[in-house]
Amino acid sequence: MTSNANSEPGIGHADRRWLFEGIGLTAVILALAILFILINPRFGTIANFINILTQASFIIVMAVGMTFVITSAGIDLSVGSAVAFITVVAFGFIKGGLNPLLGVALMFALGAFLGFLTGSLVAYVKIPPFITTLGMMAALRGLALVHSAGEMHFGLPTSVTYVGQGVLGGVPVPVIISLAAAVFGAWLFNRTRFGLHVRAIGGNREAARLAGVPVNRVEVMVYVLMGLFTALGGLIMMARIDSTQATIGTAMEIHVISAVIIGGTSLFGGRGSVYGSVMGALLLAMMTNALIIAGVDFFWQLVVMGGIVLIAVAISNLREQRIPALAQFMRREPSGGAESEPARGPAQKQGGTLS
Amino acid sequence: MTHEGSGALAAAKVLNVVGLTKSYGGLKAVDDVSFEVFEGEILALVGDNGAGKSTLVKALAGAQPPDGGRIEINGVSHQLNSPRDAGEAGIGCLHQGLGLVDTLNVPENVFLGRELLTRLLLVIPQLDHRQMRERTIELLSGFGISLPRLNDPVIRLSGGQRQTVAISRLLLQDVRLVVMDEPMAALGVEEGRRVLDLVRTMRDRGISIIIISHNLEHVFQLADRIAIMKNGRLIGVVRSAATTRDEVVRMITFGAAT
Repeated sequence: MTSNANSEPGIGHADRRWLFEGIGLTAVILALAILFILINPRFGTIANFINILTQASFIIVMAVGMTFVITSAGIDLSVGSAVAFITVVAFGFIKGGLNPLLGVALMFALGAFLGFLTGSLVAYVKIPPFITTLGMMAALRGLALVHSAGEMHFGLPTSVTYVGQGVLGGVPVPVIISLAAAVFGAWLFNRTRFGLHVRAIGGNREAARLAGVPVNRVEVMVYVLMGLFTALGGLIMMARIDSTQATIGTAMEIHVISAVIIGGTSLFGGRGSVYGSVMGALLLAMMTNALIIAGVDFFWQLVVMGGIVLIAVAISNLREQRIPALAQFMRREPSGGAESEPARGPAQKQGGTLS
Repeated sequence: MTHEGSGALAAAKVLNVVGLTKSYGGLKAVDDVSFEVFEGEILALVGDNGAGKSTLVKALAGAQPPDGGRIEINGVSHQLNSPRDAGEAGIGCLHQGLGLVDTLNVPENVFLGRELLTRLLLVIPQLDHRQMRERTIELLSGFGISLPRLNDPVIRLSGGQRQTVAISRLLLQDVRLVVMDEPMAALGVEEGRRVLDLVRTMRDRGISIIIISHNLEHVFQLADRIAIMKNGRLIGVVRSAATTRDEVVRMITFGAAT
């Protein structure tokens, strides 16, 4: 399967390219799943797989948004804190009697607003995304704590908890939502002008600007999109456990960013895969699940997770460095090797080159 | 049109630059420069480093608006405050870095900023990858070029292939005048020759070209006329058929017009 992907990259349609990119990772996931089942058959039950998909659902949703951010050569460290802020505020309103539908709308409005704020600071005030979102991470966590320090909210109307706990045709609603978010995200990323512009500004901001891409506006939109996906992820989390508190989503950005990086999206920007991010999130959820079933201590689980992320980044870097080498290799081939070899001699220097 | 461009003077004036000036602090990088470019003409811009060639070209590309003077395209005066203005006026610019996005593939680069769209379910706009791909193949085949790997990121293409992609971008914009800054620099002999052919093909389609080059051999092979700059001033424009390399070198070095 993997060799198949390597032997024909780029052949076929432009929009089918993303399919090939995720195949290596998909193979790894399948191989690991088989290994886990061999070690412990309990891992292989359908109930457990549905459990893994459900566990991964909100990470998948946020990883789809993060794919756009990282592909645009940005980063968003504030997603965990944003989840806390958005959920405690919306929870308060809903508990206070606000129509649940309006409460959910409020969550998306908050997410979009926070994204607009972050995006504007990055695009117009030119604060690097790492610093901007580090600041937002601290500020939003602080605001969530101010809003409901130490309080634990619970008791949502069933219309809201359905989003996290409902089952539709045997499939949990959060799984359906995350799948829909992934399909929408992949379409947006690969098939729309916005997606192309995001990949363009991440690949070469100046070239994109010269080509007429409204780089600042696209950058703001990227963070607004991230905010909307963060709100959706927060909604699923909150509805699933029917509660929230100011400390919810702590260190969540690490999981989300890890899923995206494992999925092959370049930390340098310009290149990304929504499908890969979904697979990355699944891989992380599957590893966690397997470690829990194997009875591995929680502290060791963290060590394993960290190790996976480091290995993924190392592989990603190797892949990055392979591209210039490939370009150099290609440069010799098409110009007719035999013809260009002797031409590299003195003939080239003859051209009367001035200083 | 012959290689010498003998009919150039009879052709229409595409670009008319009058008294263009640009200063950086006390330094006059471009000092009262006036010249014209005719339809289907290749004008080479030569001069030592710091002679003002790049500043002049940046003004034409809209990347650095001049302090004074006039730029007329087809007889109409234009204020070029951005690359977009220049593009709308019919001036395309081929930068040294080519302005390509390395991580995007060939059709995506060609159409970036001017994407072709189709409608999903009749209403939702989405990229028309197929149409962009077909138009790209069409544009490239107009130059007798077929790139084998249109779907690869352009970073995997050779220098000459990248030039072709960048030029295809310009042709798509329906430009009247293309400004090229050292297009043959850092290319092998074979690749450089292909770019020379590309430039000639553009000229034969009636596009005017201003080309900066340090390579006088290329200049004499390509240009109909040669404009020589020194210390920000245009010290002479000569017909390449009526001059010699030594004379041009003398003008570049000593500024003495003969």
